[in-house]
Amino acid sequence: MSTALKVEGLAASYGKIQVFWNISFHVDEGEFVTIIGANGAGKTTVLKTISGLIPLRGGSVQAFGKSLKGFSAAKIVRAGLGHVPEGRQLFGLMTVLENIESGADYLPEARKEAAKTKDFVYKLFPRLAEREPQLAGTLSGGELQMLAIGRALMSKPRLLLVDEPSLGLAPALTKTVFGALQQINKEGVTVVLVEQNVQQSLKLADRAFVLENGEIIKEASGAKLLHDPDVQAAYLSI
Amino acid sequence: MRRISYDLLFVLLAAALLFFLPATLKALYGKASVSYLSLLINATGLAILALSWDILARTGQLSLAHAAFYGAGAYTTAILLKLADWPLWLGIPLGGIVAVLLALLLGSVTLRLRGIYFAIATLAFAEVLKAVVQQLPTRIAGGAAGINVAALFRPAFIPGEMERWEVAFLRNQSYFLVYVGILLLSILVSILVQRSRLKPAFTAIRTNEEVAAVMGVKPARYKLLAFALSSFLVGLLGASEAHRIGSVLPDETFGIGTTVFALVTPIFGGLYTTLGPILGAAGLASVEELLRRTFEEGYLIGYGIVLVASILFMPKGIVGLIDSLKRRRRKLPRSAEEAV
Repeated sequence: MSTALKVEGLAASYGKIQVFWNISFHVDEGEFVTIIGANGAGKTTVLKTISGLIPLRGGSVQAFGKSLKGFSAAKIVRAGLGHVPEGRQLFGLMTVLENIESGADYLPEARKEAAKTKDFVYKLFPRLAEREPQLAGTLSGGELQMLAIGRALMSKPRLLLVDEPSLGLAPALTKTVFGALQQINKEGVTVVLVEQNVQQSLKLADRAFVLENGEIIKEASGAKLLHDPDVQAAYLSI
Repeated sequence: MRRISYDLLFVLLAAALLFFLPATLKALYGKASVSYLSLLINATGLAILALSWDILARTGQLSLAHAAFYGAGAYTTAILLKLADWPLWLGIPLGGIVAVLLALLLGSVTLRLRGIYFAIATLAFAEVLKAVVQQLPTRIAGGAAGINVAALFRPAFIPGEMERWEVAFLRNQSYFLVYVGILLLSILVSILVQRSRLKPAFTAIRTNEEVAAVMGVKPARYKLLAFALSSFLVGLLGASEAHRIGSVLPDETFGIGTTVFALVTPIFGGLYTTLGPILGAAGLASVEELLRRTFEEGYLIGYGIVLVASILFMPKGIVGLIDSLKRRRRKLPRSAEEAV
């Protein structure tokens, strides 16, 4: 199996505040990987650093065998990395359709297949097809999350970075969103999921990492971590 | 392109109506149509200024450099005519082009600046440009005394066939049509921005540059494009105004008032829309004239009160007010937020 993402000695900071110094991991193509950790552990920063939103302070990132050093965030998207940011970040005054289309609009390759990808998104989230002409600002939290994932899928990513999709969602909606992520993964897209909903996200994961104070302290299969006494004590209150 | 043909039809209809407006005013009001046309020219100029500023603001760049682009357009045509025997009309597009070049220079050095820092940098740019023009040799830019600029239109008085006031009417009518042309161009640019891929890109850059980046948008490219479009339109306006007013003066032409009106008008009318700046210009020009006629000297106090009240009670401008009235009538929920 070839490597989709290889992170070595990753270091990132917000100004003078160092978030982490030396994070290394890899993700194989087609894998579903979950990163769990408490608030402030650095999970979101890891994703943002990979997708070029935060400048790399040290280490290296390779995607599909290609170094991303010096790549802008816009160029990283073109290299096949999609990012669903925390908090959805959609355009409330634009319709569902416009929000979806905006995911492919700026990427010439993705634009060629936009109609086909949109059909896939609507198949995945039929609710979005029903809401197509509606302003995004009038959608519910669950629908917004579906739309955020849909917009990222429009860029035809080979690797999808998903940041806390269950944030603020009811359990039933969380299940729908996680089910969709599993479906996306089955279609061949590698998924890296950052989550605080430990139970459900570990169930999905082929492999998972525990991030604590800017360090990966555990790595195992999702099922194994779900039964790990430390994880259970720290994140599942068992 | 979304609903673009519908918008183009609307623009064509508006163009036809505006084309016949001067003749209609003349038929209805006779001599008074001269001053009505002057008012309409001022309102149209204000609409161009406001719409061009709004196009730039859609990328989140709240510029205080509009006076610089306006002045660049005005001085370009004035200097060209002073130094060489250029065709009168050529100065107007060249004014737009010089404004674009300056805007690209300013835009490229302010790309990383945001909020108040961006605003201060753009304000400083306008002041520096004014100082540069003042320091240019008098034989080129006329120094503090400025340069006289030839009128674009000089209708001749034909005794027996027309009355004296009709000369002023013909001149105003011609300028009005020039201004309407620039306004229509501004509306077309604005519609193209709103109905194309530029809209999500501009909105993303304004609301969240990180999201823009993960969508594959290259913020620098779009910010510079917005600067170029905006400055070209205001450069055309500046050059046309130089001909209409008949002179350019550093303190007047680069005056901060141009910038203030450029940003107040779209706020009054409704930001980030095509209609808002136009309604804002129509509204402010009418209010100003009404107050001027009612209070004469002290009218600016009333004008200020109207502006403060509108910002307090209509934070989304006239367009926002119309939107909320429509929603209330249809008993719809409150308007969606910009970013969710």
